Amino acid sequence: MAEVRITGLHKRYGAFHAVRGIDLHIRDGEFTVLVGPSGCGKSTLLRTIAGLEESSQGTIEIGGEVVNDFRPRDRDVAMVFQDYALYPHMSVAKNIGFGLKARKMPKPEVEMRVAEAARMLGITPLLGRFPRQLSGGQRQRVAIGRAIVRNPRIFLFDEPLSNLDAQLRDEMRGEIKRLHQDIATTMIYVTHDQIEAMTLADRIVLMRDGLIEQQGAPLELFERPASTFVAGFLGSPRMSFLPGTLALEGSTAAIRLADALLPLAPGRGLQDVADGQKVLLGLRPEHLTRAHTATPAQGTFRYEATIDLLQPTGSRSYATFRLAGAPVMAELQAHDVSRPGEKLAIDINMKRASIFDATTERAL
Amino acid sequence: MLRALGSQHLAEPLSSLLDTPMQPTATIHRLKAAGAPPRLSAFAQRADRHFKWLLVAPAVLLILALSIYPLLFSLVVSFINYDFQVPGHAFVGLKNFERVVFDPVARWSLLLTAWLSGISVAIEFVLGLLVALTMVRSFPGRGVIMSILIVPLFISPVIVGQAWTLLLQRPFGPTNYILTQLLGQEVTIGWMTERPWLYVSLIIADVWQWTPFMFVILLAGLTAIPPNLYEAAELDGVNAWQVFWAITLPHLGPMMLLALTFRLLDAIRMFDTIFIMTGGGPGTQTYTASYYLYTVGFTQFHLSQATAGSWLFLIFTALIVALLVRRLLKVDPV
Amino acid sequence: MAAVAPARRRKRRSLPIGRILLLGFFLVFVLWPLYWMFNTSIKPSDDYLTVPPVWFPAEPTLVHYEAALFTYRGLDGLINSLIISLSATVLSALFGTLMAYSLARYNTGGRHLSFWVLSQRFLPPIGIVLPVFLIYRGVGLYDTHIGLIIAYTVFTLPVSVWMMFAYFRGMPKSMEEAALVDGCTRWEAFWRVAVPLAAPGIVAAAVFAFIACWTEFFFALILTSRTAFTLPTVFRAFIGFQGAQYGEAAALAIVSLVPSIALGVLAQRHLVRGLTLGAVRG
Ligand SMILES: Nc1ncnc2c1ncn2[C@@H]1O[C@H](COP(=O)(O)OP(=O)(O)O)[C@@H](O)[C@H]1O
Ligand SMILES: [Mg+2]
Repeated sequence: MAEVRITGLHKRYGAFHAVRGIDLHIRDGEFTVLVGPSGCGKSTLLRTIAGLEESSQGTIEIGGEVVNDFRPRDRDVAMVFQDYALYPHMSVAKNIGFGLKARKMPKPEVEMRVAEAARMLGITPLLGRFPRQLSGGQRQRVAIGRAIVRNPRIFLFDEPLSNLDAQLRDEMRGEIKRLHQDIATTMIYVTHDQIEAMTLADRIVLMRDGLIEQQGAPLELFERPASTFVAGFLGSPRMSFLPGTLALEGSTAAIRLADALLPLAPGRGLQDVADGQKVLLGLRPEHLTRAHTATPAQGTFRYEATIDLLQPTGSRSYATFRLAGAPVMAELQAHDVSRPGEKLAIDINMKRASIFDATTERAL
Repeated sequence: MLRALGSQHLAEPLSSLLDTPMQPTATIHRLKAAGAPPRLSAFAQRADRHFKWLLVAPAVLLILALSIYPLLFSLVVSFINYDFQVPGHAFVGLKNFERVVFDPVARWSLLLTAWLSGISVAIEFVLGLLVALTMVRSFPGRGVIMSILIVPLFISPVIVGQAWTLLLQRPFGPTNYILTQLLGQEVTIGWMTERPWLYVSLIIADVWQWTPFMFVILLAGLTAIPPNLYEAAELDGVNAWQVFWAITLPHLGPMMLLALTFRLLDAIRMFDTIFIMTGGGPGTQTYTASYYLYTVGFTQFHLSQATAGSWLFLIFTALIVALLVRRLLKVDPV
Repeated sequence: MAAVAPARRRKRRSLPIGRILLLGFFLVFVLWPLYWMFNTSIKPSDDYLTVPPVWFPAEPTLVHYEAALFTYRGLDGLINSLIISLSATVLSALFGTLMAYSLARYNTGGRHLSFWVLSQRFLPPIGIVLPVFLIYRGVGLYDTHIGLIIAYTVFTLPVSVWMMFAYFRGMPKSMEEAALVDGCTRWEAFWRVAVPLAAPGIVAAAVFAFIACWTEFFFALILTSRTAFTLPTVFRAFIGFQGAQYGEAAALAIVSLVPSIALGVLAQRHLVRGLTLGAVRG
C-alpha cells in the first residue's frame, strides 16, 4: 500500500530521449493505466518505477520516500512481465516462493503462503509443474501469484495480456480487475490497448512521445479529450475528424463544413476563439443515429446521408458516409440500415461532439 | 544446476496438461506484507554497486597478467641484449630487429608461411565448399557422415602430423606402395625429405585437419539461405550453375569471408605438424615463421632476436585482425 | 542448426552420382589416416616393413600400448593432461561466463573491452610464449601444473567469453529482471537465474575449452619439461627414430584421440558457435 509521486522525470538512452518530463501522482490503492502507442515510453516509465532503469533526471517517491537510489529489491514492488518471465528451471511452487526465499523467510512460512496464494488463484494442482508445462492463462496466474504472495506495496504490469488469445485476454482482464477490487493495492498497468485501459483504469494516463498527453478518469478522457490525439486513441471505431471553420454570430456559434452549417448547442463554453477560425469537428460513431422523429431534437443536426460503406457486426452496423467531403462513421442499429447506397437521415448529436483547433489539435 | 534442467520438465506429456480446465479464482485477500528483503551488509552493497566490474575482473586480470604484461616485457627484451650466449642486458636499440630483418632465413620462413598457409587455406576452402554443397540436403546416413567428417577438428595437430608421418614416411608408410599399384609404375617419393613433396605432405596434413572447419561454417551458411529462393529458381527452370552464382554465392559471401579470415589467422601460426613431420628440415626448407622464431629463441637462445621477430610477426597479424575480424564480428554495444 | 546444421527440410532423396563420389572420396580421406594409425598401433613390429604392407595384422597385439603408456611415460602425460585440461577448463568456463554476463547485460567497457578480449584469440602464441617462458622461470612456474593451467586458462578465455557473450545476448533478460524485482541482488539474479538457464551454453563452452587444452602442443612444449609435460608433448620421443617406435606413437595417439573426439562429437550441435566465437548462431 503506497502512493507514488513522480516529479520531473526524464530518461535518456544515449542521445535518445525516451521520457521527457513526467509529473504524476498516483494515489494509494488507485488502478492507474499507462496507455499510448507503441514506443511512447510507457514501459520505460514503469521500469524506472521498478528500478530496472535508472532515471536521468527527476525523482520517484514511493510511500513518501524518494527511491531513486534504491535497488529494485529494496523498493518492495512486484512486476508482471509481458512474457511472464517465469523461471523455467523452477517448479510453480518455487517460482511463487522465490521472492520469499530471497527475503530469507523461514521455509514453513514460505510453504504456507505459497499454498494460500495458489488456493486463491485456483492453481494448487499446478504447483509441482514447470512453466513450460503450463498454458498461457496458467502462466499468467503464476506470475500474479508470484506478486500477491509477497503483498508488495505496488503492483506493476507491463502488457501482461498481450501474449494471450482474444478470448483468454477478456477473461484474464476481468480477473485482474477483480484482483484489484479484492486487494485494493496500488497498481500501475501498461498497455497499448485502449479497451484494456478503459475497462481497468481508475485513472488513465495517456502518453505520447515521452510526455503525458492527458490524464483522468476513463470517461473524462473519452468524453472530453484534450486533443485530437487522445480523441483518436480512445474509442473504437475511431472518432471521425471533419475540417471546418468556426462561425460566430453574437451569442450563437456554429461550425461551417463546406456548405453545411452545424449549430453548436448554446451554453457550450468556447473560449479564446475567433470567427472564421479553422477547427476540426470530432464525431464518434455513437454520436450519430438514424433520425426517427419528424424534426431534429434540440442540439442535434440532421443530415441526408448516402451510405458509402456498411460494416455489419451483428447487432449494430457501422455505416460510413461523406459529410462535406470527409468520411464519417456512424454506429447504427442493424435494422436501421440495409445496404450501401441507401439514403438515410442521420441525426448528429452536437452536444457530445468535440471541437479542436485545426493547427494545435487541442480541444476548444 | 543441470539437475534442474533435467527430466523433471518433461515428467508429464504436455498435451494432457494444457486441457486441464482452469478453476475460477477464489476471492483474493491480502497476505501479510512480506516487506523488502533484509538490508545488505556494507560489503554486499559495494559488491552490488560494482557488480559489472567485479565480474570482468578475474578474466581481465588474468589476460593482463599472462598476455599484456608478457607482451610489454617482450617489447623491452627486444630492445636490449637478452641472449643466453652474450652476457649482460645492455640497450641495443634496433639491433635485434635488424638481425631478424636481414636474416635470409627469416625472410624465407615468412615467405614459406605465406605460401603454405595460402595454398592450404585455398584448398580447404574449395574442398570444404564442395563437401558442404553435397551435405546441404538431407539424405539417409547424413548424421553419421557429419559426425565422421568433423572428427579431425578434435585431434591435436601433433597427432595429425604423426598420423601422416605413419602414412608417408619411407620405408614404413604404405603410400608409395599404393601409388605404385594404382599407377602401374614404381613410385619412390621421399615425402618428408624431398622438395617439393615435403610441402605437399605438410599441406595434405593441414588440409586433412582443417577442411572440416570450412565445411562446417559454410554448411551453416548454406543452411541459412531461405529454401524458397531455391524453389523459386527451380520453378523458373534456372540451371544449377546459375543458381549457385545468383543465389548461393551472394548469400554465402559474409560467411566465406569469416571462415577464410579465421582460418588464415590460424594457418599462419603453423608449427605443430612441422615440428613432428619435418623438424623444419631438411636444413631450413620447412621453416615457417613460428618455427623460425622458436628455433632462434629455444635452440639458439637468441631470445632478444626472437622476441623482436615475434613483435614484427605480431604487428603483421594485428593488422589483419584490426582490418578484417572487427568488421566480421560487428562488435556493437548492446 | 541441429547436427551442426539441419538438413534443409525437403524430400529426402538419394544423391546424384557425382556427389556420392565426392563424399565417398572425402570420407576415405578422413578415415584412412585414422585407420592406418589404429592398424599400426596393434601391429606387431615384425609387420612394419613388409611389402605389400599388412592391411590388418593377423595377430593384433597390445604391446605398443603398454610401452607407450609406461616406458614412454604416456600415462604420466595422460594424467597431467587430464589435471591441467580439466582445471583450465573449469577456470576458463567460470571466468568466461562471469565476464560474458557483464559484457552482455551491462555492456561493460563498451565495445572496446569485448573487442580487446577477442583480439587475444588471434595473437600468435609465439609472441606470448617467449616472454611467458622468461617470466615463468623467474617466478618458479616453469614446468609446473599451475603454470600451464594458468596459461591454458588465459589462452581459452577469449573463446569462452565470446561463446557465452553470444549465448547471453540470445537469452531474454526479463527472467533476471523478475528476480531483481523479486528481491535478488545482481549477483543472485545472475547465479540463481541466469546461470542455470545458460547451463547448456556453459557446458558447450567448457567442452571446447577442454578440447583446446587437450590438443594444445606449443605452450606445453615450451613451458614444461620433465614434470608437468602433457600428452601431446610425449610425441617428441618418437621423432627421428626412423620407424622403431611407430607402434608406440600410434598407440599413444589412439589413446589421446578418444576423449576429445568423443566430447567433440557429443557437442557438435554447438560446433559452429565454437568455431566462430559465437558469431554464427549454431
Ligand atoms: N535500452 C534501450 N536503449 C535504447 N533505446 C531504448 C531502450 N529501451 C527503450 N528504448 C526506446 O525508448 C522508447 C520507448 O520505449 P518503451 O518504453 O519500451 O515504449 P513502450 O511505450 O512501447 O513500452 C522506444 O523508442 C525505444 O526504442
Ligand atoms: Mg512496452
